[in-house]
Amino acid sequence: MGLDRHETARHSAAEGAVAIGQTDQLASGRKLRFAAFALIMFLVIPILLGRSPYFITVLTNGAVLSFISMGVWITFSIGRMNLAQGAFALVGGYAAAILSTRYGISFWLCLPVSGLVSAALGAIIGWPVLRLKGVYFAMTTLSLTEAIRLLALNGGDITKGATGIVNIPRPGPISIFGITILRFDGANPLPYYFLACTLLVLGILGVWRLSASRLGWVFRSLRQNEDLATSIGINVAKYRVMAFAICCFMGGIGGAFFAAFHQNIYPATYTIADSVNFMLYCFLGGLAYIFGPAVGAFLLVISFELLHAVQDYQTLIYGLLMIACMLWLPNGILSLGRIHFRQRKNLVS
Amino acid sequence: MTLAILEVQGITKRFGGLTAVNDVSFVVEKEAILSVIGPNGAGKSTLFKLISSFLPPTFGQVSYEGHRITGLSPHEVARRGVVRTFQETSIFKEMTALQNVVVAHHLRCRASSFGLYFSSATARADEERFRKSATEILVYLGLGPVKNALARNLPHGHLRALGIAVAMAAEPKVLLLDEPFAGMNIEETEAAVKLVRGVRERGVTVILVEHDMSAVMRISDRIVVLNFGIKIAEGTPAEIQKNEAVIEAYLGRADDELGH
Amino acid sequence: MLVNGVVLAVNYALIALGITLIFSIMNILNFAHGQMFMIGGFVVYYLYGIFRINYFVSLIAVVIVLGTIGWCFETFFFRRIRKIATREENSMLLAVGTALLLENLALSIFGEKQRGVPPVVTGVFRIGNAYLPAGRLLVMILALALVIGLLLLVQYTKWGRAMRALAQDREVTHLMGVNVDRVAAYGFGLGAALAGLAGGLLVTVFGVNSGVGNVYSIKAFIMIMIGGAGVVPGAILGAIVLGFVEAIGYQLLPGSITYLLIFIALIVFLIFRPQGLLGKPWG
Repeated sequence: MGLDRHETARHSAAEGAVAIGQTDQLASGRKLRFAAFALIMFLVIPILLGRSPYFITVLTNGAVLSFISMGVWITFSIGRMNLAQGAFALVGGYAAAILSTRYGISFWLCLPVSGLVSAALGAIIGWPVLRLKGVYFAMTTLSLTEAIRLLALNGGDITKGATGIVNIPRPGPISIFGITILRFDGANPLPYYFLACTLLVLGILGVWRLSASRLGWVFRSLRQNEDLATSIGINVAKYRVMAFAICCFMGGIGGAFFAAFHQNIYPATYTIADSVNFMLYCFLGGLAYIFGPAVGAFLLVISFELLHAVQDYQTLIYGLLMIACMLWLPNGILSLGRIHFRQRKNLVS
Repeated sequence: MTLAILEVQGITKRFGGLTAVNDVSFVVEKEAILSVIGPNGAGKSTLFKLISSFLPPTFGQVSYEGHRITGLSPHEVARRGVVRTFQETSIFKEMTALQNVVVAHHLRCRASSFGLYFSSATARADEERFRKSATEILVYLGLGPVKNALARNLPHGHLRALGIAVAMAAEPKVLLLDEPFAGMNIEETEAAVKLVRGVRERGVTVILVEHDMSAVMRISDRIVVLNFGIKIAEGTPAEIQKNEAVIEAYLGRADDELGH
Repeated sequence: MLVNGVVLAVNYALIALGITLIFSIMNILNFAHGQMFMIGGFVVYYLYGIFRINYFVSLIAVVIVLGTIGWCFETFFFRRIRKIATREENSMLLAVGTALLLENLALSIFGEKQRGVPPVVTGVFRIGNAYLPAGRLLVMILALALVIGLLLLVQYTKWGRAMRALAQDREVTHLMGVNVDRVAAYGFGLGAALAGLAGGLLVTVFGVNSGVGNVYSIKAFIMIMIGGAGVVPGAILGAIVLGFVEAIGYQLLPGSITYLLIFIALIVFLIFRPQGLLGKPWG
């Protein structure tokens, strides 16, 4: 018993230090792991798989889906299960499509603007909707995904209805000192891959920063007890809208990327299934981990491709796998690698 | 002459046909300890929510330092210095005691949201300050040894103290304590009474809602008695003990009270 | 138009009651409700449409199939998650997972095609200026009978009382000596069967395809949000509102605009009444 207590205190102390200091060994260990991850994404994978457009495309999808899911992870951190991310990816995609085809605006400007459009819409819709909690919020956001799809379908000349917007221009080349280093043509998906990895790495850094900052702690306080947060002067409504808007921003950026990557967007590009998937990625990776959404997304996207071999039963096996994960790994895949954390959980309960 | 810091003026709350609080008025003086007592269902908790703006009143208003705070959102009220605790032990369970109190320093943040995010120099200085001040508050409330324990692992008595520590971190000028002695044994109550007195000595006005009569009589400067939502008496502990209406209200309900 | 409204409302009531039953007993929002509806439709399609088995027998088969699915879900999935869950989201996520599983299952087995069944009865009734096909009348009467039957069941039988007790307070019900796990499993089975029956009835009017699941789940959600989650009269009221709004909307506007307007109205409605028309306020 004495030992147990000591253990508990030690782990909590470590956690506390990471939270409010970011200076101890644990944090530097994380930095190292993150650097290794970036190295693999930017160097190892392109060298090993660079010749296979198929794999590169799969990984590009995985990276941007991770990025979009990280937004959902942020809404999880304020204690809301968000099933509207598909809607905001669609908004971002359409924003980019309309800006680039109709007004000829460069992709590089469209990308952030689409994110902002999504975030603005998210803030407007989120303000009333975020007052709902639990299943009520989940139901409403699920309906929102369908509502935005219908909006796109009935958008008349602006969204071009069911025919969608096609022939979206590719991103312009990136050059440094007049030397083109990345040319986005149809032949090679590698430049898109690099762009996707950049988004993902920036996304992880951003979320990491967020969760270590006071803002992250305020978000966490909202999840644990909104009334108490209010009583100590936290403007609960403001911060939850902020969290939701950040989430929508990431959804919008992801949507804009895919619009340029596939060069088209339709009302059915993001449906309820996509909203559900974004959430599942977070969950399967582990809601307690910043890498959770990325691990979940890559694992599911890759396993889905691997299951091509058993084509007829692909989706079925996929579904069963996910249920199995929920039943036997309720804290996500990353919880496997953290046995000592698990032990702590046992002590706690 | 002492100064009034908080004034409750003719406040009324109706839920449908039920009047939970009916035309209650009283004045709280600066750095006093005022208790609101009454039998179960007398409207004490509702009154609390009305003062802290967690509920809007049907009629009447609350003023704080001469300004009306009724109608402000609850976090605004907290910002001005009227901070409440909760009846049940309400803390951030998945954080350590220290993290609880550091987060609760929110009102003292000088950095903007962007600053918070990018950890600007101001934000970092803030955090440093908060950690010091949080540790100081925890030590003061006897929680020093457990400051790094997860809140959900703390025993009941510590949780109550942590609840007060969280509220103190918001630098209240008026602290509303909802049944701070509920479920405590004699020793724990004794410690808690000391703690509340200590809080007052730091220049904080305390309003508390409480069942425990002996603790209330010892600690309070003034007592307000509610019954069926109506204020039936107000005065010093000595006056209240002699008050006919109060005795009747409690005797009339003696069976109920014993039932608990 | 109004007749269509009645037909829709009664069937939607079945769906809404099913999801309300599960929600109030187990505090689980059954995201797979629409998928259960869809499977009910397919069971009738295969038994009645392909194998030519009597329609009513097919409906009984629907009850058995969906009842079993619901019972299994509760027994094998949700019971476990309730015991191991560390966050309240876990059971919601599992519910989403089961919806995905059923949808994929249906896609693998039934394919993507839209399926219809031959009419159960033929003929048309004339009421005033409106014509009412006998098929729709049959669906309406059956659904109405089922709704009334269900309400009586919940109100007056032992199982019904146990379920209501469970919805009120799990702990106390357990202390009273009720086998909580068993009642929950039957409750889930019953809720699933109701969704399936609604599917089995409406397949004769609209047909079915493996993609309709989410559409009906959303309809179920809308109904319980209008009426108030976990309240039986709320479920019925929600069904009536949605049934008529939909019937009127489809008459006056192009299909998908109706739903767009319904969604907008719903969000505005929730701003003012987050607990629904008949629900209790919640924190």
